[in-house]
Amino acid sequence: MAIVGQKLVKQIQATGLKATMAQRLDDAFTRFTAGLSWNDVRGVLRGDPPAKPNPRVKPHTEGFWFHIRPTFYHEAVTTLYPTFRLGLLSALFFTFEIITGIFLMIFYTPSPTYAYGNMLDILTNVPFGKFVRDLHRLGAEAMVIIVTLHMVRTFVTGSYKKPRQFTWFTGVVLLVVTLFLSFSGYLLPWDQLAFWAVTIGTSMADAVPGIGPQLNLLLRGAPDIGAGGLLRFYLFHVVLFPLIGVIFVAVHYYKVVRFGISLPPEMEAIGEDTARKVPPEKRVNFLPDILTNELMYAGVAFAILAISCATWYSAPLEHHADPLVTPNHTVAPWYFYWLQGLLKIPHMIPLLPSGIAGEVDRFFANVFGLTPKVFWGVIVGPLMFALLFVLPYIDPNPSRRYGDRKVMLTFGALFAAAIIYLSLAGIPTGVPITGFGYVGGDPASEVGQAFIPDEGVGPVRRLPYEAYVVGKFDINAQPNTGSAGLDRLIRDIHNDMEARKARPDPLGKMLSADASGSLEVKQIQSNLRQIIITIDYTDVNGAPAQFKKYTFLHAGSGYAD
Amino acid sequence: MSIVKKIITFRPSFTVRILTGLISMLILLSVCTFIGLADQTRLNVRAAQFDSRAVEAGAKVYFDQCARCHGVNGEGVEGLGPALASEHFVGRIELVTDAMQQQSIRVIKPSERLKQIEWSGTLESYIESVTAAGLPVKTSNLWDVTHPTFSERFGGPLREDQIRDVTRFIINYGLDPLPNDQALLPPAPGEGMAPRPTPVPLTPAQEAGKQVYVAKGCTACHAIRGVGAQGAIGPNLNKIGAVAEERIASESYKTNLKDQPPATTGAEYIRQSILYPNAYVVAQCPQGPCPAGVMPQNYAQQLTPEELDNLVDYLNSLR
Ligand code: HEM
Repeated sequence: MAIVGQKLVKQIQATGLKATMAQRLDDAFTRFTAGLSWNDVRGVLRGDPPAKPNPRVKPHTEGFWFHIRPTFYHEAVTTLYPTFRLGLLSALFFTFEIITGIFLMIFYTPSPTYAYGNMLDILTNVPFGKFVRDLHRLGAEAMVIIVTLHMVRTFVTGSYKKPRQFTWFTGVVLLVVTLFLSFSGYLLPWDQLAFWAVTIGTSMADAVPGIGPQLNLLLRGAPDIGAGGLLRFYLFHVVLFPLIGVIFVAVHYYKVVRFGISLPPEMEAIGEDTARKVPPEKRVNFLPDILTNELMYAGVAFAILAISCATWYSAPLEHHADPLVTPNHTVAPWYFYWLQGLLKIPHMIPLLPSGIAGEVDRFFANVFGLTPKVFWGVIVGPLMFALLFVLPYIDPNPSRRYGDRKVMLTFGALFAAAIIYLSLAGIPTGVPITGFGYVGGDPASEVGQAFIPDEGVGPVRRLPYEAYVVGKFDINAQPNTGSAGLDRLIRDIHNDMEARKARPDPLGKMLSADASGSLEVKQIQSNLRQIIITIDYTDVNGAPAQFKKYTFLHAGSGYAD
Repeated sequence: MSIVKKIITFRPSFTVRILTGLISMLILLSVCTFIGLADQTRLNVRAAQFDSRAVEAGAKVYFDQCARCHGVNGEGVEGLGPALASEHFVGRIELVTDAMQQQSIRVIKPSERLKQIEWSGTLESYIESVTAAGLPVKTSNLWDVTHPTFSERFGGPLREDQIRDVTRFIINYGLDPLPNDQALLPPAPGEGMAPRPTPVPLTPAQEAGKQVYVAKGCTACHAIRGVGAQGAIGPNLNKIGAVAEERIASESYKTNLKDQPPATTGAEYIRQSILYPNAYVVAQCPQGPCPAGVMPQNYAQQLTPEELDNLVDYLNSLR
């Protein structure tokens, strides 16, 4: 202490107080940056050429964060192509999700009694709560897209080939982790959307031959999703999958640095890998070029995310989860639509009459000894991932050039097309034109679902309370309610019914030509109305039938906002 | 082709990188500031919206579970349950919104009922606790039943959030409560304990009709005081003898009756309703609008003529 003090006093005596302070501060700064003084950093930010010897390499050897980044890139990989910065963006979004996730964790209890109420609190009582929730949700969905695109690009540029096979392998692990992270997070709001999507998803485990029920029990903590299942999914979401993610990002990135980012295929001789042999004149230094580039991408990506959440995007929150009520048209999250589409294959071979679907089922049962759910969901689905895992090890072609890989690239395009087609088939409306994958009940109930969906807003609730007029209105007559909005709604219902009378749905069902309907608005309390849609029609057996669906609408519920 | 090439080889200059990064950061900061500035107001607006949606969800619970005993308009049902929409019970409230859009409920007139029974908590806590846990003892002979327990915790069908929602719905009646003279008020504590008048004894034919009523499962959908299960799909038949006469005199019956000649007596109306349920569908059932086509349409085959006669005789005696 005394010695330090003496030194300081001596220095102040020699150079004055101001200069001493400046010099000491700069020392601290240099220690913090692991080797760059304030002037060096200023030079970096101003784009000055480095001094000789280059002090900017020092952080790479001294500090942890820069030590895991390379000191330079090959010039050829610093343009948009070949990486499109998708790997960087994947890592950024992963980090972003961890940060926003920790914020949300503070306000969340993984219990069916509290979870939904916590969501309401986050939306109505926590400053920035809704914003952060929207960011976390949109960020998660964006991450699924970005990681998938990153995989597509490494496939297209042939970057999975020798020596990067294992990089690809760990990448597929990360894709699976990303999907499972999204999926496990999906349950946590404990609303109808979440509950039923995850019920469908986990029922896949139940179908695994032999150990299905045990696997299901392990996953859900009980035969059905409840307190045990929610807690397990919470722990998957905040501990297990992030942990696996962090470990595999580390391994993945180590491999990326170890082998260097692959050069555009046309720049190398076939079978050769020159990514790490960068001639000095082709080097682009990490400091400042790559770093500023990455910071720019981070800034733009998160600005777009923030603007989206401040304007058009709002994470959904439906009614409280209810194990006793399955909403019409329950779907998995969109990134699993393809799996839902896959499950529909045996039932939905386009244009086959329904009797033959039963034959197809029987065929699977007889020939494979498997139910379609097991075959498509438990075997074919995971097999598609298995194919991704082993791809670099079974692809015999050493060339990365596009011209030499026509077969593989065509195969990849077909694979992508199949995923898109199956995804469309996974939605209840099915694929446009072919109608493949369409699921719909009775046409009258489909009218009800179109206007008063079980979950989500729908046209009836979107029309504000004030636009309704108490009374009972014939849907077939020219509406004249005195409210333009209500008239339009009635006309829309009329048109929807006419469309269902005019042409059959993909399953061949039509609304009977004599169908008529009414829309009734009742005052329940001074600020609460009940809106009832009634459809009278003739059912398939020629008997008169009636369909009724209603909803309540409060003056202040603000669905239209 | 050259535009593709331009995009692919895009590499922003150093200045562009720094500027774009800075501008993005500024945008990010301003979005956060923008959100932070009006956040409290927006939280309040959203809180009011979710409060409204709680009333909607509560209405659904009310129609599914409560309306059959407390009435579709909260007016009460004789023998089953007192009014909840009465000023006596809910008092009078108004919704006030302050400058920050914070909404709150202001009590203009407190519940008289709570004073009467000397409940020390709030109306909310009273409704929640009775709904969840029921009443442990029978308080009056005016009711056939004691209050059921509705919370899952006590073996009932409702979750905690549903109990909160339906409570919120009932409190909402306070905005425009039913005048006390249009509602079935509960007796004050200690009153209404007199034994119930002995019912008029049934004739042997009516007694046989009652057996048919139970044996054919009518109880699954219809409630009659003191008879078997209390179904709530179709209308309550407590006083169907008297109600049938009101029905045939009603405008709605005259205009909406389909495919059948109009009944001229209560007994004819009851017979018609059993044999041709869709000829005239009553507007309001305990769980909302009555569904058509739900009541079986084959009682003509299921019942012998004698059974039918006895059943009609029995129902017609309920007044
Ligand atoms: C959370 C997920 C992931 C993260 C954070 C991540 C990160 C990265 C990063 C930063 C790079 C450097 C090159 C670039 O930016 O393109 C990279 C390269 C690579 N990634 Fe990923 N990645 C992820 C998922 C995947 C997936 C799903 C695959 C494939 C199935 C994959 C396969 C590869 C391959 C083969 C390379 C080497 C590319 C080359 O050298 O040109 N990665 N990854």
